[in-house]
Amino acid sequence: MTLRALEVQNLTKVYPNFTLDSFSFAVEAGKIAGLIGRNGAGKSTTLKSIMRLISSEGSVKVFGKDFSEEEGAVKELIGYVGGGFRFYPNKTLSAVAKAVAGFYPHWNEESFKRYCEEYAFILSKKVRELSEGMKIKFSLALALSHGAKLLLLDESTSGLDPLSREDFCDTLLTLKKQGVTVLFSTHITSDLMRVADQILYLSDGTLLLDEPLETLMKRYRLKRFAALSEAGAAGAIGVKEVKKGFEGLITGSEEGREATLDEIMIHLEWEKRRQNESAH
Amino acid sequence: MKALIKKEFSLCLHPTAFVFLTFAALVFVPNYPYEVIFFFSGLSIFFISLSARENGDLAFTCSLPVKKRNVPLARIIVAATFQCALLFLTAICIVIKQASFPEALLVNQAGNSANLAFCGFGALVLGAFNLAFFPLHFLRPNTVGVPFIISSAAQFVLIGLLILIRHLPFAAPLATPDFADYGIKLAVLLGGLCLYFLMTSLAAYLSMKRFEKVDL
Repeated sequence: MTLRALEVQNLTKVYPNFTLDSFSFAVEAGKIAGLIGRNGAGKSTTLKSIMRLISSEGSVKVFGKDFSEEEGAVKELIGYVGGGFRFYPNKTLSAVAKAVAGFYPHWNEESFKRYCEEYAFILSKKVRELSEGMKIKFSLALALSHGAKLLLLDESTSGLDPLSREDFCDTLLTLKKQGVTVLFSTHITSDLMRVADQILYLSDGTLLLDEPLETLMKRYRLKRFAALSEAGAAGAIGVKEVKKGFEGLITGSEEGREATLDEIMIHLEWEKRRQNESAH
Repeated sequence: MKALIKKEFSLCLHPTAFVFLTFAALVFVPNYPYEVIFFFSGLSIFFISLSARENGDLAFTCSLPVKKRNVPLARIIVAATFQCALLFLTAICIVIKQASFPEALLVNQAGNSANLAFCGFGALVLGAFNLAFFPLHFLRPNTVGVPFIISSAAQFVLIGLLILIRHLPFAAPLATPDFADYGIKLAVLLGGLCLYFLMTSLAAYLSMKRFEKVDL
């Protein structure tokens, strides 16, 4: 049986205007899973709920350990990297790293020094002096130096330039080879095309898709139609008007061209909107 | 818990926590409302909580391998450490004052005299601050000002009552220097310390319970 690094069951969080609705999924050990969805779909809520940064219902298991029963032990296995290290701006990197190291019995100082050299950190610098890219790398260095087995990345590449994003993706692939599991929330789907094995697609707090990236990319193709009736006859999904005619996703056919993750997301979202409108 | 407390000292502490400890020396000022010494302790806790909020400390700490409910406990333990240090320093200053000042200057006309019983009152004022401030703050960690205003108001009402009691006939022994009416002053000191412990423990219990349900 495959080892599950992360197992989430019926994760539910109710806000006055938004509900993360009984969200269940699992990520196998050593895989990179991408959590996608438009802004406000519930990606950050999901990651924060997993970390219990927000109060929510449902169960979370990390490498078989129940979060609510072994909170400290489970968090030792996790490296949580938000959008960048935005904490303690007036403290030096060494002061922060020293404080963080105290929490982890398996903190590897050698490993931390190696990441500092690799990312060219000056430890006497203050956090506020780091660029956005460096802040993300600092978060990553902290997470990796305590030997995290599961990385939770929340929009970690949003503030990075294309080259830094490429470096970041390379780092994830290296970590994957070392057996680290990653759950990567982002709306920059091109990064996921590079690294992800599995796609979790959230829409308005509901899980719309959970499948291997390869299967997803094979299932949908993008086709352009001259008229709406033509798209209807072809059974196209999420048909919308474009510059020249109409575009929609088609399944079970070799026509059209391979759709990108962005296009799949847009057309599935469009289809959902259309179904909601017709239901009302 | 050890790592959490170390982190509080290395990343969260505000310099005023140390500066306000020196205010214990205010007991050397003749005829002064010495109870305000304990208000400044609350002010340093306010600054610590404020800078922790601005530094995103709670969200960061909760992502570390700790139980979420232990995060407020560490903050309260650190605050209580400074409060106990303030009480201890105040007691030392009182001993020095009583050993070196003329007896006429030992009776305070502006509030309670600096003696053993006063330390008990101080513990009570500090405990009241803890009970009002921490459970309110950890219910909504983004609010620091409102819990501080409410807890300071509670402190000043209590200080007013303690100064009022000092002028009542039955409390006359509490205004004398320590070498007189030693027993009753010791009883007030022990009573104050017990109440401080109970109020701070209750503050920790409520804060931990409330913080677990907080969305960071």
